[in-house]
Amino acid sequence: MPDSAQPEVDPAQAAAAEHFYSGALHRIRSLMAVLAPILVAAAWWKFGLRPAVGFASGCAIAYVNFHWLKRVITGFVDRATGAAASQSGQGIIFRFLLRYVLMAVGAYVILTVSPASLNGLLAGLFLPVAAIACEAVYELYAAVVRGV
Amino acid sequence: MGKLSKLFMVLSVLSFAVPAFAQGGAESGVNWVAIAAGFSMAFASGICALAQGKATASAAESLARNPAARPGIQLALILGLALIESLALYTLVIIFAKVK
Repeated sequence: MPDSAQPEVDPAQAAAAEHFYSGALHRIRSLMAVLAPILVAAAWWKFGLRPAVGFASGCAIAYVNFHWLKRVITGFVDRATGAAASQSGQGIIFRFLLRYVLMAVGAYVILTVSPASLNGLLAGLFLPVAAIACEAVYELYAAVVRGV
Repeated sequence: MGKLSKLFMVLSVLSFAVPAFAQGGAESGVNWVAIAAGFSMAFASGICALAQGKATASAAESLARNPAARPGIQLALILGLALIESLALYTLVIIFAKVK
């Protein structure tokens, strides 16, 4: 295909789109922080205290897990691109595995203390998925309405 | 072609194994649900690990080819890994729901 057939990209529009999409991770974390209290309140109202406590614990574990995942990926990308302030490879792998250990410990503690809240805990672990789905809907809205 | 023949071989072995499951009867005392749940979690974990490895390898290769594309690749990698992990969690939830 010749170069003349390719559509022209407006640099200002491309910069606006890049700025918009670069804020996706921050928006996802904000959405998680907003969604968690709302969903915990809904779980408390619908299912009672113990499932709500389990759900809140699941949300907290999922939030910390997502934050650490972001840090691990940042360290990995730093190393892959040869950035000056890259973390050590052992530290990256240790943190990546430590996430699973801490999640398992949290789940074991909740299961030991209150088995009734286990379903809430499992549901709370899906908080990032809900936040990513909300972000996807928002990006679709921005693409359709605002043309970003 | 070799992969296909291996796949069909595994499927045929599994087909032969189906009548064997029926021979135990209800009095066998074996908790097949728990065994199936264990295999399900193992399959889900293994396939999710493979998917995470492939996603990470592709991201590393893309970063090595074009380091300027770092923000987009990093975002896609984080979201991809989070969603792949959630797939293993789906299996875990189903197992907890079915195995009491």
